[in-house]
Amino acid sequence: MNSIESIIEQEKGVSYTQRNKQLFSFYTLTLIAQEQASTRLKKRAEISLVLIIAFLLLFLAPISSLIEGFVASLSTIGIIDIFKLGVLNYGLVFIFYKFLKKRSIF
Amino acid sequence: MESDEELVRRTLAGGNHHYGVLIQRYADYLFGLGMRLTVGNRELAEDISQQSFLKSYTYLKSFDARKTYKHWLTGIAVNCFKDIRLKEQRYAPLDEANEASYLPRLEENSDFFNLIQPLDDNEKIMFTLKYVYDYRNQEIADVLGLKTGTVKSKISRALEKLK
Repeated sequence: MNSIESIIEQEKGVSYTQRNKQLFSFYTLTLIAQEQASTRLKKRAEISLVLIIAFLLLFLAPISSLIEGFVASLSTIGIIDIFKLGVLNYGLVFIFYKFLKKRSIF
Repeated sequence: MESDEELVRRTLAGGNHHYGVLIQRYADYLFGLGMRLTVGNRELAEDISQQSFLKSYTYLKSFDARKTYKHWLTGIAVNCFKDIRLKEQRYAPLDEANEASYLPRLEENSDFFNLIQPLDDNEKIMFTLKYVYDYRNQEIADVLGLKTGTVKSKISRALEKLK
């Protein structure tokens, strides 16, 4: 039987190679991308859930009084007010979208 | 050629393809380490190297640039090997818990695999790093999170076992 030293020396000379390094690298990077996509999706789902809950809590309880108030105000509303509301809404959505984009959520 | 640290920095800056260079650079090294620790099981060695790269990417932000990437990656690979062994022991019957459930394939250098077969996992890791990869005791201690003295005594105990 060979001595420990000679076995180690022999082992040092052995080189082990992956079967297909290119494919291995590509596959590992794909797994990483998949992992990142799933994390992003999870984040989006969590935020969407929070937003839905917040929306329901804020608007569902007083919704009937809000609707009544809104309907009553429709008779006095003018085209300029509708335009202002539209601009305000789109502006808020745009700011919110930019915020989410910056945090790589969308 | 770009240094490992530079590639890590570029990967963190958002270039995943730079990580591909690191994978190609260390694929054979990790595979070889996996082969030695699993005493010649090619599939497990491939698993260990892949898991190590995935974990390394996940924790890349915590990489301490004062260490070398190779040593850091080695530590991750060693932990992956231990995780695999732990999983095996968790699901194995109690009387077989310390036996490796995989069958070693000794088609490569069977002398070395036969040599380290009687060692336990920690001894295998230390012995391989010390004598095949020429790591110093201090480096092994860093990789395994142990004291240098502990590494030294465990290695001499492993040597005793082999003699």
